[in-house]
Amino acid sequence: MKPRFLLVCFACLSAMAAVDLRQVQTLESKGAVAEARALLRSGATSGSPDDLAAYAEFLDRRRDPEARPAYDALLKALPASSPRRATTERRIKMLELAGRSGPSAPARQSEWPTVNIPGPLRSFNRMAALSPDLPPEDLFGALARNVVTNGYQAASSNEALEQTEYLKLVVRYLSQARELEKLAGPSGMIRIEQCESTQTADLLKVLGYRMRGGCGAEVVLETVNATRAFLTVDSGFPLSPLEQALRTNRPFELNYAPTKVPVLYGPEYWQSARDKGAAETSFVDFFLSDPALCRLYLGLSKLDPETADELKKGIPVARLKAFSHILDFFGGMFQIRGGKAIVPGAPRSIPGWTDLAGASPDNGVQFIEKLINRDDGWLASYFDSAARIHGREQEFLTDSARMKRYYTAIRGRITSPGPARPVFRANTDMLLLATRLRLEPSGVPHIPGNIDIWKNLFVNHPHGKYDGKLTKTAANWKEPDDLLEALFALSRKAVENEPLKIFMALSDLNRRRSKPLEPATVDRLAREYRSLGSQYSIFSEAPDLKDKTILAFLDSATAITKIGDQGVRADHAGMMQSLVGLWQIFCRQGLISPGDADATLDQILQGFSKPRTSRELFDAGRAGVTALFKATKTSDGADPQERMLDLLSGEAQITDADAHTQVVQDMIRIFEAQHLISLKTLWDLADNLEGAAKGGKINVPLVTKLSTRIQEIQPARIALSGAEKNAMAFGYWTEKHIDNQRKVNFRAVFEKLGNDPEKLRDARGLLAQFLRDTLVGYNYIHYAPPGAQILITNPLFVRSHDFIGAQGSVQTWKSTEVFGTGWPSSAGGRLVGSLANVPYALAEAEQNFLIPTREQALIWGDLVPQMIVSAKVPRFWQVTPSQLHYAALLQRLGESAVAFAAVDAQARPAVVEIISRQAPPARARRIETLLAASDVRSALDLLLPSEAYLLGARVLATDLVVPGPEAAEIKRLAAADPAKHNYVAISQAFGTPKPTLANSYRPTLMDLRTFPTLMGYSSRILAESWESSTLYYAALADELDVPPGQLNVNVPIWTQKTVEAIFATHLEDWPALLRSLRIVGDNLRTTARKSAGQRAAVQ
Amino acid sequence: MKITRRSAVSLSVPVLGGGVVLVGGPAALLAQERPTFRVKVDMVVHSFTITDAKGRYVNGLKHTDIRILEDGIQQKIATFAEGNKPPLQVLDDGSTRPILTPESQNPASGDQRSTDAFVGTNVFVLFDTSNYMYRGFVYASDAIADFVRGLDRADSVAVYTFSRNLTRAADLSKDRADAIAGLRKAVAGDDSALYNALLLTLRDAAKVPGRKVVIVFSNGPDNGSMVAPDDVRAVAEDEGIPIYVISTSEVSKDAISSGVFRRISGRTGGKAYFAKTWQKQVEAFESIREDLGNSYTVTYYPASNPNEGFRKIAVEIATDPGKKFRVRARPGYRPSRSF
Repeated sequence: MKPRFLLVCFACLSAMAAVDLRQVQTLESKGAVAEARALLRSGATSGSPDDLAAYAEFLDRRRDPEARPAYDALLKALPASSPRRATTERRIKMLELAGRSGPSAPARQSEWPTVNIPGPLRSFNRMAALSPDLPPEDLFGALARNVVTNGYQAASSNEALEQTEYLKLVVRYLSQARELEKLAGPSGMIRIEQCESTQTADLLKVLGYRMRGGCGAEVVLETVNATRAFLTVDSGFPLSPLEQALRTNRPFELNYAPTKVPVLYGPEYWQSARDKGAAETSFVDFFLSDPALCRLYLGLSKLDPETADELKKGIPVARLKAFSHILDFFGGMFQIRGGKAIVPGAPRSIPGWTDLAGASPDNGVQFIEKLINRDDGWLASYFDSAARIHGREQEFLTDSARMKRYYTAIRGRITSPGPARPVFRANTDMLLLATRLRLEPSGVPHIPGNIDIWKNLFVNHPHGKYDGKLTKTAANWKEPDDLLEALFALSRKAVENEPLKIFMALSDLNRRRSKPLEPATVDRLAREYRSLGSQYSIFSEAPDLKDKTILAFLDSATAITKIGDQGVRADHAGMMQSLVGLWQIFCRQGLISPGDADATLDQILQGFSKPRTSRELFDAGRAGVTALFKATKTSDGADPQERMLDLLSGEAQITDADAHTQVVQDMIRIFEAQHLISLKTLWDLADNLEGAAKGGKINVPLVTKLSTRIQEIQPARIALSGAEKNAMAFGYWTEKHIDNQRKVNFRAVFEKLGNDPEKLRDARGLLAQFLRDTLVGYNYIHYAPPGAQILITNPLFVRSHDFIGAQGSVQTWKSTEVFGTGWPSSAGGRLVGSLANVPYALAEAEQNFLIPTREQALIWGDLVPQMIVSAKVPRFWQVTPSQLHYAALLQRLGESAVAFAAVDAQARPAVVEIISRQAPPARARRIETLLAASDVRSALDLLLPSEAYLLGARVLATDLVVPGPEAAEIKRLAAADPAKHNYVAISQAFGTPKPTLANSYRPTLMDLRTFPTLMGYSSRILAESWESSTLYYAALADELDVPPGQLNVNVPIWTQKTVEAIFATHLEDWPALLRSLRIVGDNLRTTARKSAGQRAAVQ
Repeated sequence: MKITRRSAVSLSVPVLGGGVVLVGGPAALLAQERPTFRVKVDMVVHSFTITDAKGRYVNGLKHTDIRILEDGIQQKIATFAEGNKPPLQVLDDGSTRPILTPESQNPASGDQRSTDAFVGTNVFVLFDTSNYMYRGFVYASDAIADFVRGLDRADSVAVYTFSRNLTRAADLSKDRADAIAGLRKAVAGDDSALYNALLLTLRDAAKVPGRKVVIVFSNGPDNGSMVAPDDVRAVAEDEGIPIYVISTSEVSKDAISSGVFRRISGRTGGKAYFAKTWQKQVEAFESIREDLGNSYTVTYYPASNPNEGFRKIAVEIATDPGKKFRVRARPGYRPSRSF
């Protein structure tokens, strides 16, 4: 049967069903999935093949485990001659292989030779800081990474390396484990028959413990040798069961047989690199003693098997060891197929690569050897960057002439140290530049403004020369290539590459704009990047923002910076930034239409064009809020406080009332915990003062209410002594702001004012500082991480926001940072700088309040804040049930394509080719091998949800026809509502913010390979390129009939659970994140199905 | 300690010992269409120890010997307990009877915990396993194990460990073996975020009904917390959870930490011990055990009080007109806010 026919067959099955499928579709589009299911289930009882098929396909689309029995029922109902039988049988086969039904696949056995590690693997993993979830074949690779990154440090006295405490403990543990292994004897079992025995004494001696009290109920184990006892506890030896056995005089048994662990290529290969004359030791000891060998192991383990085999055969291990750092960081994208190296941009780029490497890719081994031997890793890093991208950008960067030019710029004259020498990859800028390069339709790189602006930037350099040579050559620049060459040249420098950052920030701005920025605007933005660059992501929220408004923002910021009084400056900056922050939120949530965005921001900024008195500042703040309300179509009589909270939580459908109320109440909880003053109180009092100025009376109860609220503001924590404060060299303390507020006694002030109208009007200036905190607080509560322990516990956290920063540094417009972590006597942490990066800073501050559920696991710093941001910034109120289903179907289609590739060898190359656009060669090849062995389940384990999604989308765009109900339904949905069901709409619905990669908090999907850790960013960019969580949650919600609106509550909770369940071994251990995601999903599935079962039983 | 039960219910549900608060807050259109009402029932639980002029515990007092004043307003004691003895319900006529919880009156509820929730103390041990404790890790572990073994049978114990993050090594249980097994599984960590971990422990403890204490075993340094010690102390104060600290550091070595330890323990009704040696640590634990066994716990529903800020609690002993006895307890609490 031809694949094309299969699709027709699936479509016609649906079309011919007796059940009213239109009714089913209508129900599904409304989110009434249970009703749709019931209708189809009822129809299926007729036994008609069409109805059975409709029901089975529905369940299949919804990932319901009942799909398989439903297909079985269909199969039974189909006549033997029916052409549908083959289709159905194939789908059943695919479901079985994919693991959604049928028996479990046998555990995979590694083909590599093994070595013994003394004792249980669990104990070794604990001591070596390895995840217990690691597959055995990955263990030595992970150990190698830990040895390379944490095992050695420079000795203080000479250039030699010495073991760190981490490695010393691992080595000591191995020694103890060998002693225990001896006690266990050939049987591999440690046995204590009774308390009073020599076995007990021997065991306790090795463990470093002794018995206190004689054998019997009172016996207690206590430390006698602290070093040994530490290893015993730290390695998780079952001390408590031993103690219990001794107390009850029962036998104690422990399997202490050595563990067999596979070694890549077998131990002999690695031991052949042993120095002549070196003492014979076990493989593990030898491995731990040689960090360079560990790095080679790590490097080769990242290569796909065919490439690694070729290199291993062609290059002696001792020589490979010299390039282990390059293989580790950049080898993952190397590929040798049939003896030839696959180069990015081939075949057009082959002459270029031949020229640069000095060898033809036709001889794969020789080419790669030359590539890594050329210049301490610069060429390899360019190769890596080019191989990670595809399409026109890859073609551009691998044009032979251009490649040579750019490579020469990166390489420089002195090549050492290369980009693989530091702990993290030092080619961050090059990788970002290559990945984010934007080409015009003509194929020319997009240059914000024009080339002259960049030329001037390099020649006149407002803040000092970037590079002496480039300053000279810049005068002759004529075309975009000249600028890119300079940016590549700066990429090799270890210092901050400001021109590249400017270039990327402005390119990203233009990427989203309906009209590119004017050259004059680009020039101003480029020149003010150092002081105001952190604010530029704000402009990405509205595509139609006028240049004039952007310039007005810069003017206001500059005017505020010039205010001498720090308190006044902080009030101005806080007020303006918080209003702009609210504008951002409302634009992002679609509450301010793109057509109104520019005018609204312009109105906000008008209040801050010059320094104001406190009364004017209050009025500017109120005018800003009024502009925001107007743009969000707020009715005149609305309570401002309640309306603001409504807007912050997002515009919900009536069906999402419960979820919306929950979101709002969480916000109120934080607002109350911070003792902020509601907009209503502030407005009422301001109006009352105005009324009093016109002859009315002061509203005493209102003033009392406000005074009571102010009294709740606690004094700032000032446990630091004066000397300690001075030692921290702070010129401005946020306590001043808090103290000033506490000193305000409105009753006393109003009594003094009498009936002087002007003084009464001026008195509302006293409210400015409170309005500032309220507005800043709205920004905080909108982005509050799950749990929000800091915001709930520290009532001064919002008020402590420091818009000034340390003495000597102007932080007012810099990125938000967390300050004050871990001072036992301090006022706790606070945020410093502008509000531009508040979502990330709040998440960073909160991350360590999450509680790992896995023994020994810690929260993954750098990655977790971005995960929290990805859960908190997007809102799902406007997502439709059909969009949820559409996103889930694309992922499911991707998974079905993988299953299909296992049953149809002809389809396999096309599927693997699509997968390899995201997965590195080693993983793509591994998936291919697994599919050839029909191990679909293991193959799917290696596929990220985001990759499954893209695979589904790309399969649809090819001739490949995957049997199953997904494709037809996807097409039907797309045809029914094209505006909602396309890549862009789904990207907006389920994308994630990428403040570093895309210079914007606007959620988006970017179709990128998962990034590695990078110098200057650690795991942060990796986290931003991780797009799988939200897509996975969307598919999960679709499967479990969770309405899209409920995702506003569930996604932060699910993210918290995912974070808490991660057990990562190292900073690139995204498989650990994937495992955690799936654990959370499986738990939720189990719980949901259990409750559904209970509900059904009750009915 | 204060137990706050919050639930969204309709107005028709009878109110138990608390006020009804209409939520004016989330004035979302949605909320306006379906107003939410919240019922807040606050019962204050107050634990204290009484010592005489020589520092000896004063035992055997009756509820009639004690007066509880909140902001000077005398409170009607609802229950009274001494040490680990079962608590007594104080009836309107001043007589007492063994406490009956709604759950114990309804065995069908099947909640065994709730019937004896007010008997004994819920002890949360927070063990510092950061790098700062590396040297004394195993000895500390031994001392904590001894303490757990020696707790009164009525007590429940949980063992938490922390370095940069908190780990719930053993959940609250009466099973000592569980607690010790959890303790023995502790893994040495890296940075120390003592006050973050203490806050999270207090949050867990606050969810448990009955009397509870937190015992911190640490040598003091904190290089990872985001919350200030005094904010954490305020939570303990409001929740009525005494904090005991056993510091393995000498007082003079880290004056800042020592001062903080004294403040957070003293203000919550607990104590701070500076015990560098294993023997001193054992003694400190013994002292805490004694404290638990010799303390009094009363509960009451606060009489009407307009003060929404800090409310001072005073314990007066009728049999001590000369005020020679010393009462150690938290000074007061902030009532939780309803919205």
